[in-house]
Amino acid sequence: MTTQKKLLIYKVLLFLFAFFIAFMPATALRNKEVNSRVIVGILGLDGGDEKISITAQYVMPTETQGSTGKDTVTVEGETLDEAVEALNTALGRRVELGHCSMVIVGSDVKPELLGSLLSATDVTADVWMSAAQEKAEDLLGDLTDFMKKTGATDADFIAYSARKAHIATNTLLGFLSDLGSASKTAYLPLVEMQDSGDKEQGGEGGGSSGDSSGESSGGEEQSSGGGESGGGKGGEGEKPTGMKVEKLAVYGEHGRVCVLDSTSARGVAWVSAPVEKGTVCSDVEYEGKIIKGVCGRLLKKYATVNVDEKNGEATIKIKAYIEPHGDKFNSLFATNNKSADAALIAGYKKKIQGEVESAYKDCLAVNVDPMFIGREFYRYHPDYFKSEYDYSAVKVKYDIEISLK
Amino acid sequence: MNSVSQQQNSGTALGSETEKNAGGTNTRETKQASGKQLVAIIFILAMATKMFLLPIFLIQSAGRDGYIILAIYGAFDLITLVPILITIRKSDVDIFELLSSVLGKVGAKIAVVIIWLFMFFKLNTAVAEILTFYGTNVLADFDTSMMVVVLLVFLAAAGTHTLRSLSRLNELLVPIIVICLAVLVAIVALTGFDLANIFPAVADKKDFSFALLKHPTWVGDFTPLVLFIGRTKTKKYTWCFAAGSGVIGTAIATFFALALSAAFGNVPALVDATTNISNILQFSVGNVYGRLDMFSSVLWSVSVFIEAALFFYATCRCTSFVIGKNAHFIISLCTCVAVYVVQVFALTDPMIFSLTVTSYPSAIITPIMAAAIPCLALVCTVIYNIKHKNKAGAVGGR
Repeated sequence: MTTQKKLLIYKVLLFLFAFFIAFMPATALRNKEVNSRVIVGILGLDGGDEKISITAQYVMPTETQGSTGKDTVTVEGETLDEAVEALNTALGRRVELGHCSMVIVGSDVKPELLGSLLSATDVTADVWMSAAQEKAEDLLGDLTDFMKKTGATDADFIAYSARKAHIATNTLLGFLSDLGSASKTAYLPLVEMQDSGDKEQGGEGGGSSGDSSGESSGGEEQSSGGGESGGGKGGEGEKPTGMKVEKLAVYGEHGRVCVLDSTSARGVAWVSAPVEKGTVCSDVEYEGKIIKGVCGRLLKKYATVNVDEKNGEATIKIKAYIEPHGDKFNSLFATNNKSADAALIAGYKKKIQGEVESAYKDCLAVNVDPMFIGREFYRYHPDYFKSEYDYSAVKVKYDIEISLK
Repeated sequence: MNSVSQQQNSGTALGSETEKNAGGTNTRETKQASGKQLVAIIFILAMATKMFLLPIFLIQSAGRDGYIILAIYGAFDLITLVPILITIRKSDVDIFELLSSVLGKVGAKIAVVIIWLFMFFKLNTAVAEILTFYGTNVLADFDTSMMVVVLLVFLAAAGTHTLRSLSRLNELLVPIIVICLAVLVAIVALTGFDLANIFPAVADKKDFSFALLKHPTWVGDFTPLVLFIGRTKTKKYTWCFAAGSGVIGTAIATFFALALSAAFGNVPALVDATTNISNILQFSVGNVYGRLDMFSSVLWSVSVFIEAALFFYATCRCTSFVIGKNAHFIISLCTCVAVYVVQVFALTDPMIFSLTVTSYPSAIITPIMAAAIPCLALVCTVIYNIKHKNKAGAVGGR
């Protein structure tokens, strides 16, 4: 056979192969078409040692109208695998968990269940996590109602908090990695729904003291307050009108330990979360007067925890770049006085330090470490960590630096 | 192909020449690769399979210290690169002629059979990694017995072509691979990776030594470069660039292993074959770049195809030398069948693959071979050059 003939045969084979590959999805793999799938956008997990309950917010792609509307379904199983299998059966198709953009965790979920979620299902490591006050099923029901009402299609609204608001958010891998660290602590933002009955809690600024809810940090997690819609069950005309993401659920090795109020939650966000945006509002003392609520935009922040094993000290260093704004700032600015700047800096510093101190105290009370002081000791002084380290005995110092823009 | 058929048609006179050239290349041109192509090949070999499953195995065994072990393996490979580069510089004849000249015909064939076994083992390791990577990360329903055929078509094409073709293909792909790697490095840098999570280093010395001794199967990636001996047109500074590209490739592989070690250092039990650089964005909190990484990683993964093709090419050339025939098409076909059998009937279960590559026999033999092949080439070159110098001196003396 001549080379030309061989080349011709190769070309024909190559063409046939390309033809086969190009048309394979519609012939050999017809059952894998997109309209045979069901896409899960948000997943809710509930359950303790005996039963695991999964609630999925899903859409089904259809040939004619893009996709069906959002809806939820709840299934149960003794293990996560069984629950996922039950989900497939419930929806009559193989659920696509790889597109899931958020996982909501109920109050009784054990952290090891989240490890299984990452390793045994298609849920990706970068999926956003959030906590429900009580049942994830209820919160997901309310969220679905809210999303239907607003026409929101994107389920990763929590990502907004990660980028633009001063809220400590976490991903699945981040959560598990934090929990697996020497601090054995991880946090999740607690999402609550507001309905028409929540008027009094409505438009507080990000810098509010946040203790109005009466939620005590460091204590037992509390059941849903009367203002909540009851999550998916609250038909009765009480539709959710918005979300609150202010508190922080803190987890230890065996599950949820406490829910931090918004002040302490902001304290954790200053130190542990990679958030660089948000609003800071503080009372400023200037020329003997207290000017309430001078607000500023956080432009950037750097936070580190430096540890000194010789003295058993940890120094929380925060450098924040803040751009003050608003009428109260303008009136201060008009004085064109350096002491006004100093007063502003002192006010912001006090505010930030107060939030961080509040977080540390609340967490120390229940022996959790979401600011990862223990982790830093382990990283840089492992021998000290193994032999002498005692979280409750660490002397914590604060070094807050404010730069006004 | 053309030269082979010409040789076959030329009768017995050329028949002996065919046997003499068996294992060389299927072209009469001696210098097939340029210095630039050698540099590009070294860059790819330095990192390709070291960025696939190796970091996963290392993190599973050594936790956050996985990247240190990978760096040690990389350093070992760089040391073995030195004798190869010296041999490429000093020798004007190819590896098979060198071995024949120094060890004699029988001795050379025995040596090449041993090299063949090593190349075939490394080839199967690379192919198994490719199938695992695409089976777990790209395609949801992956039928190994079907998909391996697609890969084997490519490998067969590489086996029937020349070293020049393979080098050119690699030269074409390297710029794309470099851009993709740059994108991935930038993503790691920009998404606030907590790289400090690699500390403390070597906290558990027992686990570290165990992992270090268990995974040397991944060394020896530069061994196919012996095919470039006597077949590379080099310039004055080619050696510096070649060594530099090896160091850069190793540094990149180590960097990505470091990123994975930092991401999974606290939770090594959660690492599996689905975890690799392809989903690197998932490891950092607050990423806003979407799935830009997928595009980059799929293109980047092409580098492993090149490495597999080089091992396949080396296997075929060794076979060719041992049987004394330049029947490249048939040899490629038979090698494909052998790879198919190994992949589909022996290594189809990832557990078997994992047990094989982490077994003590392979962990002992692989580094020995990885060091022995370049050293053998260097020693043979020295002896060959001394012999020919003496001959030339004797002729000159007359």
